[in-house]
Amino acid sequence: MAELYVKPGNKERGWNDPPQFSYGLQTQAGGPKRTSLTKRVAAPQDGSPRVPTSETSPGAPPVGPPPPSRPPLVGSSLSSTQPTNFPVVESETLLEDVLTPLEQALEDCRGHTKKQVCDDISRRLALLQEQWAGGKLSMPVKKRMALLVQELSSHQWDAADDIHRSLMVDHVTEVSQWMVGVKRLIAEKRILSSEEEANEEKSTATAEQNQTVPGIQQAP
Amino acid sequence: MATYLEFIQQNEERDGVRFSWNVWPSSRLEATRMVVPLACLLTPLKERPDLPPVQYEPVLCSRPTCKAILNPLCQVDYRARLWACNFCFQRNQFPPAYAGISEVNQPAELMPQFSTIEYVVQRGPQCPLIFLYVVDTCLEEDDLQALKESLQMSLSLLPPDSLVGLITFGRMVQVHELSCEGISKSYVFRGTKDLTAKQIQDMLGLTKPTVPVQPVQPAQPHEQPFVSSRFLQPVHKIDMNLTDLLGELQRDPWPVPQGKRPLRSTGVAVSIAVGLLEGTFPNTGARIMLFMGGPPTQGPGMVVGDELKVPIRSWHDIEKDNARFMKKATKHYEMLANRAAANGHCIDIYACALDQTGLLEMKCCTNLTGGYMVMGDSFNTSLFKQTFQRIFSKDFNGHFRMAFGATLEVKTSRELKIAGAIGPCVSLNVKGPCVSENELGVGGTSQWKICGLDPTSTLGIYFEVVSQGGRGAVQFVTHYQHSSTQRRIRVTTVARNWADAQSQLKHIEAAFDQEAAAVLMARLGVFRAESEEGPDVLRWLDRQLIRLCQKFGQYNKEDPTSFRLSDSFSLYPQFMFHLRRSPFLQVFNNSPDESSCYRHHFARQDLTQSLIMIQPILYSYSFHGPPEPVLLDSSSILPDRILLMDTFFQIVIYLGETIAQWQKAGYQDMPEYENFKHLLQAPLDDAQEILQARFPMPRYINTEHGGSQARFLLSKVNPSQTHNNLYAWGQETGAPILTDDVSLQVFMDHLKKLAVSSAC
Repeated sequence: MAELYVKPGNKERGWNDPPQFSYGLQTQAGGPKRTSLTKRVAAPQDGSPRVPTSETSPGAPPVGPPPPSRPPLVGSSLSSTQPTNFPVVESETLLEDVLTPLEQALEDCRGHTKKQVCDDISRRLALLQEQWAGGKLSMPVKKRMALLVQELSSHQWDAADDIHRSLMVDHVTEVSQWMVGVKRLIAEKRILSSEEEANEEKSTATAEQNQTVPGIQQAP
Repeated sequence: MATYLEFIQQNEERDGVRFSWNVWPSSRLEATRMVVPLACLLTPLKERPDLPPVQYEPVLCSRPTCKAILNPLCQVDYRARLWACNFCFQRNQFPPAYAGISEVNQPAELMPQFSTIEYVVQRGPQCPLIFLYVVDTCLEEDDLQALKESLQMSLSLLPPDSLVGLITFGRMVQVHELSCEGISKSYVFRGTKDLTAKQIQDMLGLTKPTVPVQPVQPAQPHEQPFVSSRFLQPVHKIDMNLTDLLGELQRDPWPVPQGKRPLRSTGVAVSIAVGLLEGTFPNTGARIMLFMGGPPTQGPGMVVGDELKVPIRSWHDIEKDNARFMKKATKHYEMLANRAAANGHCIDIYACALDQTGLLEMKCCTNLTGGYMVMGDSFNTSLFKQTFQRIFSKDFNGHFRMAFGATLEVKTSRELKIAGAIGPCVSLNVKGPCVSENELGVGGTSQWKICGLDPTSTLGIYFEVVSQGGRGAVQFVTHYQHSSTQRRIRVTTVARNWADAQSQLKHIEAAFDQEAAAVLMARLGVFRAESEEGPDVLRWLDRQLIRLCQKFGQYNKEDPTSFRLSDSFSLYPQFMFHLRRSPFLQVFNNSPDESSCYRHHFARQDLTQSLIMIQPILYSYSFHGPPEPVLLDSSSILPDRILLMDTFFQIVIYLGETIAQWQKAGYQDMPEYENFKHLLQAPLDDAQEILQARFPMPRYINTEHGGSQARFLLSKVNPSQTHNNLYAWGQETGAPILTDDVSLQVFMDHLKKLAVSSAC
């Protein structure tokens, strides 16, 4: 599950820089809008400006407080921008939990992928380890990497890919050097796994063939 | 019976088409007297989640000069297996595959609800998409680092099969050879001398692009034999090396002396990019993405010299004919833009700098090819980063929204001719019987090319009425390359009724679409503003408005107070008033680059967004009820209201004086005043929805009464109260605006006087 958050923009470098939305929020946008702010009001044809009612007159001395709401509800409703409550992971995400499955995946690919590519991936996994052990990676990155590895182990290639993308978008500074290696690893595992499935289908087909042909003597 | 508003809306939802007039005047003379030309806004690739493409090819009319596509308006004789083309009346035989059709078993393209239908073309090779990054290295360290990271991130967003390439430039231009082998090589060009396409291709050692690459390992199922080049490699192969290459990019090494600008050879860099793609991948979808942090200062296409004490041209300089480099630079980029467009390639410009970068001279690169123009302050801002990410946004099917290499063909029934189109396109110079001699926009053709487009890209298409006949009909045929690399054809066929303008004017009036008319006239105005003087354009716009009011207003001669407009025209004068004040026609207070950028976005957005640009939306939030739209007028600025203004380029939240005082006092943190907290949050939530989806990302201004940023709101609202007339209204309501600008009331008064006067 990608995180949903909004950070303020970079006010130092850009005047009125808009807020930054996380990858999760950006990919969410596109569903039906709650409110479509596109209506207009026609100007009165006779030319006089509308005089709307106003509670206070401008220039008056300090006004009283706003109209109070009903007595505060217990368990008041959340504002819509608060992120939904995820179960808080109390334990630290362990480096081994992430690195070991990745290295295993790399080993699986060695027979099938070019040596140079494997070396390149291996180099980047080493970089990941170095940065993690050196405390250079933030908690959200570690948590999401753990999720990525889970998806990878369950052969959920698209989900793993999506998590890699969300990390690249939200935390590019931390992950850019080594994440491309993880991306490649997911791609190679996907290919390997689809080949294995294809081979399995072939071998089950031939096994069935052997069974259905009667009278063939088995080799001693 | 549905009102015209519903009719208009349904048609837009289904076909992506909005006509200025929905009942057409039946003679040429009457049509010219309508003032607003018969025209439509067309969104060729409007998102239609409910319209799955059909997997067969369209059936064409057999007459060689017609070739219209079978559509719901055609008469069909099921027994004889014939159909009559509704454009040329030719009788055509159905192809053998249609043997089984009947009244109860119709093919989709004959059903009325499929007035818009999409076909998938099965034959032909599917070329991968191509992305060529052209990167300025004369940036500050922070900016370069941020840009590098955005580019590295983009490698994760690109389709894995697409090809990617890299050219970097500063004083010299470097074309990087992408290889998996370790050592990175590049070809270096001097930034001062322009080269022809052939010279570039020779120097880069480019061979004919028809040699297929043999797959090295047959066991890799996703590696199809396709063309590639040393400079453009598939993302899935090259991403690791390219990530490293990008990470190692350094600032341009040439030292910049005190008082000087860095030497930037943008003109040659773009020229090499265009030449490289021309030589390797002509006629297939490609994006040249130019990232620049300052103006071109060297070589062909330079926009300003390297002396900082000589500033880059302003509008004042241009008016006084004091912009030395402008004509030559514009010509250089126009030449490149036309070549790219001829090859079906689009050019994007991402310009992030605090001063101007030459967008005025380079705008043809984006406007002729359909590429994007993004203007920001720095690459290290959320505005650039997120706008850039959104280029790679996907639709509900998981496909990229961007599309390539489109050709739009327009066919009309005999009574109409095509006067031209305004939008991100180039003419294909296809003459024919339905092409008018009177040009509006890019005319003299019935076909245009749009090299880069997306589901919001909208063209304005202008017609001429020549006579009256049966039902007037228009067919829009868009061939394009979908982001999945499939070739597709989107066909929209629409028809409208005629009416005699003398006896049935009321019918024509009732079917007037004032919103579409406003945008179509605005596009004409902005088109004119590119070549005419500003005041002339305003005079033309005013004259058209007066004539329209004279024709369609109800009034007693010489009596302005009797003037009335019917509902279908009531918003139109307001649109024209705000258009006159808009940055599209008023260049005062904007640099030439800013004006070019605003006009670029205006000339391609759909109707709703275009209207927001002309007349910003203003919503008011208060304790009195749900959020409501209010007049874009100073009288809407009240102490106990929060205003949300959307100008398309900016989202402004403005707290009225009392609201601001309450916020300062901290009432939102007290549990008894929770409704105040909700009130403060409501506009923020609505703003967030807009910010999350819009391309390009707008600026976000959160201000309050008395704040300096409040000027964004104050400059847009109609100044019905100014320091001149504040006391004339008697009671003080709303905030007076310190301006000498004419207000809407004064404008309307003058308009009415002129409309009812028999002197005009």
